[in-house]
Amino acid sequence: MVGVERVLGAFGEHLVLTYASLFLSIAVGIPLAILSLKSKRLASFIMGFANLVQAIPSFAVVAIVVPLLGIGFTPAVFAIFLRALLPIVKNTYVGLSEVDEAMIDAARGIGLTEWEIIRYVRFPHAYPAMFAGIKFAAVLANSIAILTAIIGSGGLGSLVFEGLASFNTDKILAGSIPAILMAVFIDISFSYLEKRVTPEGIGGG
Amino acid sequence: MDIRWVWESQNLAQRTLEHLRMFGIALALSVVIGVLLGLYLYRRPKLAPIAFNVLNILETVPTLALLVLLLPLLGLGEKPTIAASVIYSILPIARNTYTGLTSVERSYIEVAKAIGLSEREVLLKVRFPLALPLIAAGVRIAVVFTMGVVTLGGLIAAGGLGAPIQTGIHLYDRDIIIVTGLWVGALALILDGVAALIERYLRDRYGRR
Repeated sequence: MVGVERVLGAFGEHLVLTYASLFLSIAVGIPLAILSLKSKRLASFIMGFANLVQAIPSFAVVAIVVPLLGIGFTPAVFAIFLRALLPIVKNTYVGLSEVDEAMIDAARGIGLTEWEIIRYVRFPHAYPAMFAGIKFAAVLANSIAILTAIIGSGGLGSLVFEGLASFNTDKILAGSIPAILMAVFIDISFSYLEKRVTPEGIGGG
Repeated sequence: MDIRWVWESQNLAQRTLEHLRMFGIALALSVVIGVLLGLYLYRRPKLAPIAFNVLNILETVPTLALLVLLLPLLGLGEKPTIAASVIYSILPIARNTYTGLTSVERSYIEVAKAIGLSEREVLLKVRFPLALPLIAAGVRIAVVFTMGVVTLGGLIAAGGLGAPIQTGIHLYDRDIIIVTGLWVGALALILDGVAALIERYLRDRYGRR
């Protein structure tokens, strides 16, 4: 058997790891998407880069971080951040840039500044796409946070790896079941959040 | 950095073959199951929302958690790795097949019926070819998923290129990590590129608009 405290501790570490990386990706990703609106060249560079890196296996990304930053919590956060950043930037940019031109013109016509247009016109329209990206990134972060235990991040993954090494099914279950529940929770909570935040009449159907 | 030493000491040529073999088997299975499921759901559209909801939930399960949960059922090695790859890859292929088949423009169907094609012929000669570009897009997503899962297979003794990455991390050997990591990355990009080319070809050949 695995002690309850051990599982709760690992779960706590897992949550910190997942959400720290996710918030970092959101904090960097959304400004990057806004910057991409200003410059076509930056946009095509970022989108091309995002598509490219998304094809690379997570395990390879986690491994490559080791020679650069070593092992432990911070390199793990960085690896997850790298993977989670791309869907956020990509979806936010697509959402922001696909707003009807006529609506932008109308906003300009009533005297909104560039920033106000982004804040009050483009963003509300981008919410559905943006939240889809964030939800995808959160699920991805939750998945990679298990894997990063191999580079010493701690968390539920360390239970999984210990169980794997000693063929201890209890440990494997104690590590993987909470992570799966977490994934389902993320899926449900972000879908709910998306519905709450998106103004009526935009997206969704 | 000694690429040659890593290549030989880690048996990367053989590891690459193992990797591609698992990848090939998993992708072929996913395409067959995914397309058949898409066709089946096209026949029974009432089941579609339930099937896609279940697959969507499976999709969120962390890869490593799914791999280790399959161990008691399938043992260590290639089998659980291939099974997990298929579980993740069915959704994009089945969903795109279903969407492709159901979203064919009415006018095409009406013309096909007018010239006397049966339901079956409409499906095989009109709907299916027009769905090919979307199906290919789904397969391309599956290529990326499968590559990721097969690489993780190294952690549960499936061999492939994940194995030397694990060795590199455990020995803290930067040469092994960098060479193998970049090689897997390059391989993934090449396969994704090939899939993209096929998708583009099909879109030019059968694309709408």
